[in-house]
Amino acid sequence: MGNVKRILMRLGMALALSAGVVFAMAPAQAQDKTPLQFGLAMPLSGSQSLYGKDQVQAAEWAVKDINDKGGVDGHPLKMIVLDTQADPQLGIQAANKLISVEHVPAFISAWSAVVKAIAPVANDAKVVQLSVGANSPDIARLGDYTYTTFPLADVDIRALAKYEATTLGKKRAAVLYINNETGTAAAQVYKDIFTKNGGQIVDYAGYDPNASDWTGLLLKVRASNPDVVHIQGLVADTPQVVAQMRQLGLNMTVSSYSAIYNQHFLDQLGSAAEGIIATSLAPGLSDPKVADYVTRWKKATNRIPNGLPYTEYLYDAPYLIKDVFASMLKNNEKLTGENFRKEMLAIGTFNLPLTGKTTMSADHTVNKPVYLVQVKDGKWQQIAEVK
Amino acid sequence: MLTPIIIAQVLWTSLATSSYYILFSLAFSLVLKINGAFNFAQAAMMTAAFYAAYTLVGIAHLPAWIGFLGAIAGSLVLALLTELLGFRLLRRRRSEQLFVFIFTLIVSEFVAFIAMLIFGSYPTTIFSSLLWPVTLVGTVAVSGWDIPAILSTIAAIAIVFLLLRFTRIGQAMTAVSDNAELAELYGIKRERIFLVTMIVAALLVGLGMFLYGSRAQVQPNTAIDLMIFAIAATIMGGLGNLAGTIVMALVLGIIQNGSVLFIPSEWQGFLLYAFLFAAIVFLPNGIRLPEWRRMSRRVSAEAVSAQNKQEA
Repeated sequence: MGNVKRILMRLGMALALSAGVVFAMAPAQAQDKTPLQFGLAMPLSGSQSLYGKDQVQAAEWAVKDINDKGGVDGHPLKMIVLDTQADPQLGIQAANKLISVEHVPAFISAWSAVVKAIAPVANDAKVVQLSVGANSPDIARLGDYTYTTFPLADVDIRALAKYEATTLGKKRAAVLYINNETGTAAAQVYKDIFTKNGGQIVDYAGYDPNASDWTGLLLKVRASNPDVVHIQGLVADTPQVVAQMRQLGLNMTVSSYSAIYNQHFLDQLGSAAEGIIATSLAPGLSDPKVADYVTRWKKATNRIPNGLPYTEYLYDAPYLIKDVFASMLKNNEKLTGENFRKEMLAIGTFNLPLTGKTTMSADHTVNKPVYLVQVKDGKWQQIAEVK
Repeated sequence: MLTPIIIAQVLWTSLATSSYYILFSLAFSLVLKINGAFNFAQAAMMTAAFYAAYTLVGIAHLPAWIGFLGAIAGSLVLALLTELLGFRLLRRRRSEQLFVFIFTLIVSEFVAFIAMLIFGSYPTTIFSSLLWPVTLVGTVAVSGWDIPAILSTIAAIAIVFLLLRFTRIGQAMTAVSDNAELAELYGIKRERIFLVTMIVAALLVGLGMFLYGSRAQVQPNTAIDLMIFAIAATIMGGLGNLAGTIVMALVLGIIQNGSVLFIPSEWQGFLLYAFLFAAIVFLPNGIRLPEWRRMSRRVSAEAVSAQNKQEA
């Protein structure tokens, strides 16, 4: 009898201990409560999918990391991913599905043309669209329900144009831009800032998005004798423009923006890429957190992500959403787009794991340091941090 | 701005880059002339040719000549499938031309979709590097790609016209293009001629796509965009006029490249559509270029039949 009593007591203690452990672990599991949904509309196919897929991967890791640490007050985050192919029409369809079918209070999108196309849909439905990666200056003027966590073209192109005109002492710039949303607005920003800082724009020309030869355009550039050529294109055309430049003997400094800041660009151009300057809107490998993040990529995929800075922002975006959800839950607010917007603006400044402090300004912009990188000895290396 | 150096460079590069445009246009025009089909499925042949070469050279790292054979094989397979499983069946059913055209559109989109599923849609080239070595000839930069592209295109054109002018099968092709029913009455097997025409077109497309893909980045839907050029050159050169098509492809190539020296570059892409619009509205029979009779002479079915009998 005594033995039975002792066994029962030990069993009871073991059960109590187990229960204690279970209760202690409960916040970290984040599985029992209703999931908190948000959307992610990105190009998973199409010409931009190389970037889109890596950005989705980064956001998925963030959601996993958040849920592994207990989610949002025990609620797991649930991210619904839809493909836009970077196509405005498909973007609208994705937004409609996220709003009408999935009933999310907020969703993430990217690519300027897509963000612009979606904005009226988000405004009508009063659902927050968080642009993460698109950089058209127009994004700041798309209405009450489109915000960006990513500095707009004004920021990195302004910094680059000023740096080239002042620090590098370039006096004559030629600007080539793809004739679409990505190219036109940013090219104008470069032109304005370079001129304002004492430089002269000696050639300013757009090209067709379907072009495969730029000889005539580049000969005009050569005739204008610039000491720097800024190319505001896409990943499909910019390497070809640079290749033809070098073949035609145009060996002056070339700059572009974060779209070319990847290894594939270096592989395609080899030594012709040497000296090319690009922008980056997120810290590089010198930051320990970014270094860890890149190590994670290398372990998982044996490579660094395409468009590293963009993926850093995509990794951070679910953390911002988590903070807003937490605030909404704390204030017992319904999970609507209107409340999401209200809480997001009330919080104002978010401390994000990779890209650091982000303040959502009332004018729909964010301001962050710009990192300038240059190809040296076949590698991208940081040459300046412009605040 | 218009210095002799710039004009010479634009003309040279336009001549070189027109090579693949000429091959695509000639292939399209040939099938239209002889088979009477508005073959938009040529885009599918182009897509298959590029990705076959890319698989062999870009992924498997095999030598370039194997990639070239792969491009030819890829194009041929698509051409044979389109002809034997598509065009032939539709002809037997006496399907309307519009229906045949829709079929070719679907084939091109279908193959582009399959290519996207298999290879993704990131732009790529057959060779890993975009750079070709450059030699300065006087003041003109001549890349290592230019000369082989021009010479192989000239050779391909010569072979096609020699085939049409001097071989019996070529004469039969011309007879079928004049009047297929009549040609058949005189013993010419038109189904065989249609098949041969598709094979010739496939060879031209295979070569053209190998040249294009070794110089420019390609995505699964690139070929569909390129088809607009081939159609424009065919219409403006005069439907069924092979020499006219070649000349127009060359002229359009030069205009596209050189136009930037005269008009704002934003309008460069618009030019092709403007010319196409003007040609369809004002010149439905194309610009009346003199037909190159010595190379594509008109041959009557009777003449081919008589020759056949004589040789028998």
